[in-house]
Amino acid sequence: MLELIFIIPALTGILTFFLPRALGRMTITGLGVLHLGFTGIICFQGLPALWPDYFQTTPEGNLVLLVTSFLYLMVAFYTVSYMAETEMHNEPVFSACLLLFLAAMGMAAVTDHIIVLWIAIEATTLMSAPLIFLHRSKEALEATWKYVLICSVGIALALLGVFFTLMAIKSSDSNTSMTFQNLLKNATGVEPIWLKAGFIFTLIGYGTKMGLAPMHTWLPDAHSEAPSPVSALLSGALLNCAFLGILKTHGLLTSAGIQWYSSQLLVWFGLFSILIAAVFMMQQDNYKRLLAYSSIENMGVIAFGIGIGGLAAYGALLHLIHHALLKSSLFLSSGNMLLGFGSKKIRETGRMPRYMPRTFTAFMSGFAGISGFPPFGIFLSEMLIVFGALQQQAYLQTAVFLIGLALVFAGAAKAVIRISFGNFTGELLVPEKWRMVIPIYLLIATSVLLTIYLPQGIHEAISMAVKYQGVALTMGGYIHG
Amino acid sequence: MLHLSDISLVLILLSVLMALGSSRIQELIRIMAFQGVLVSLVPFLLERVHTASQLDILFLLLFIGIKGVVMPGLLWFASQRVSAKMELEPIIGYHASILTGLVMMVIAAFISHKMQVASEGLHPLLLPAAFTTIAAGLFLLVARHKALTQATGYLILENGIYLAGSVLAREAHTQFVVEFGILLDILVGIMVMGIIVHRISRSFDDADTMFLQELKG
Repeated sequence: MLELIFIIPALTGILTFFLPRALGRMTITGLGVLHLGFTGIICFQGLPALWPDYFQTTPEGNLVLLVTSFLYLMVAFYTVSYMAETEMHNEPVFSACLLLFLAAMGMAAVTDHIIVLWIAIEATTLMSAPLIFLHRSKEALEATWKYVLICSVGIALALLGVFFTLMAIKSSDSNTSMTFQNLLKNATGVEPIWLKAGFIFTLIGYGTKMGLAPMHTWLPDAHSEAPSPVSALLSGALLNCAFLGILKTHGLLTSAGIQWYSSQLLVWFGLFSILIAAVFMMQQDNYKRLLAYSSIENMGVIAFGIGIGGLAAYGALLHLIHHALLKSSLFLSSGNMLLGFGSKKIRETGRMPRYMPRTFTAFMSGFAGISGFPPFGIFLSEMLIVFGALQQQAYLQTAVFLIGLALVFAGAAKAVIRISFGNFTGELLVPEKWRMVIPIYLLIATSVLLTIYLPQGIHEAISMAVKYQGVALTMGGYIHG
Repeated sequence: MLHLSDISLVLILLSVLMALGSSRIQELIRIMAFQGVLVSLVPFLLERVHTASQLDILFLLLFIGIKGVVMPGLLWFASQRVSAKMELEPIIGYHASILTGLVMMVIAAFISHKMQVASEGLHPLLLPAAFTTIAAGLFLLVARHKALTQATGYLILENGIYLAGSVLAREAHTQFVVEFGILLDILVGIMVMGIIVHRISRSFDDADTMFLQELKG
């Protein structure tokens, strides 16, 4: 019963609409624990599906599911404390939508059906929109409208891409199930033009959702106006789900033997995203927007790595895991900062070591991690991507990539120093609390742990996801430690 | 010989031009409902009409109901609560919009002609109609600034994509469950959009996206 991974949260979510507040809070954490346990069974033991035509585990889906489930649990713990500190307008709606959002992401992770994946990704947009609108300010309204409209239109184009892809693949058996793995197995011929058109629209469509420049415009608004736990989930989990659609379609092109086409597109869209993010991070005066642009940059890194392929693709999936852990930790830290300083402006923050030492430690570690310092995993993943790119002799691309990363680091470091050591003269509105710091520490610790010791199961899942794209493995079991 | 499918496709093209030229939001919604019914009919007329089972007809009625009644109904309901019902100063004028629509048709016909080499046996008007509808939907999204007009533009875009997808129905690839899932998503999307439009008009006294320009950089 693989499908229970999204059916249970969906039903619980609908139920939560009618539950009182306290019970709703218990439900969202309780379900998080259950979800993580169930995810563990799916990923490490395997579970047969009830409707194998539509749902099926895949290595890349399992990775995303694992990341999503773990993040959700941490965010749920944080959210319960966050709810106690802030005034929420309609808490049952928030709890319910959070669960429905989890259900939609779970569905995206466990399906291999090309259209069901689309349905799930569109559902994530719709379920997360009410979460962004939680504070009901005019800015939140603007962010939500942009989010819903831009993402819906983007994903509509992805549907067109899906149709083109299906048209490209001629099949003798018209009743074959439309899973990514099956599509080419039963194919009698492929029309490269339609497949390429399909990939372009898929990339533009899911790329909008994933935050690739120049389709990223909704992302900084939504991430900065959403409550911080929601930003953490959006950045750490949602973007990965959209990425799954691109990765799987790229896999189709690889099997059809025209991966040079999708690789080039991915590489240049990735590099463009990194550069755009770098430019906007230079002059950023809002720390949540700064983190949002950093997400765009990291999605660019992942797209770049997948586009290069081979070792870099391995690095890209590793990057996906560590980015999710570290970026959500940063967004949760920013939640503490927003509660304490009462402003998202960088110039209205400062003196963090004195006022909120625990959050400061978490924020600084998260920043060091996301910038690629050891012992955090991004150091490893970015190194693998660079090595992979050099192996493929993509010297120009590697140079642009490194320059982009350096610019991002320069911009982010300037801002982070202002945030941490700037001149803050006011009073702290809400003192930091242990229960709002522990989930952040856990996220960071997990990233460190996975850098030192990568479980065999995860390593195999990454390798299989990469091999699935027809890339020969270039390393044994120990690329870590 | 004139088939019903020919008539439907021509009417869809006509509805696109009417949508581009209409200034009243409620008129636009009415055109969109008309288009929704036609778009649901086309795959049926093209492929399933001779071998229609009861299930086919049931789903046909369901799709017509959602595309032609429920979705426009939701937008209509939202438009009742919005004070301004006219798009007074569109970003691109109505006459220019209709002209753009005509240019889109020519380009769509050209592109489809190029692409049909790849898959023969299609209805010659199907892809041009689909591409024109998609382009017109995108055009309405950028050339109008009332939130409701943009939501209608999104639905017209979806109609176009649905039409392009009905090329697939020819290959009997699609299953009803999946089609229904897509439609359900769009339906919920329109509901969410309707709620936000309502909120915008409450916050700003008018559902105009020109007010939504605070977040930058």
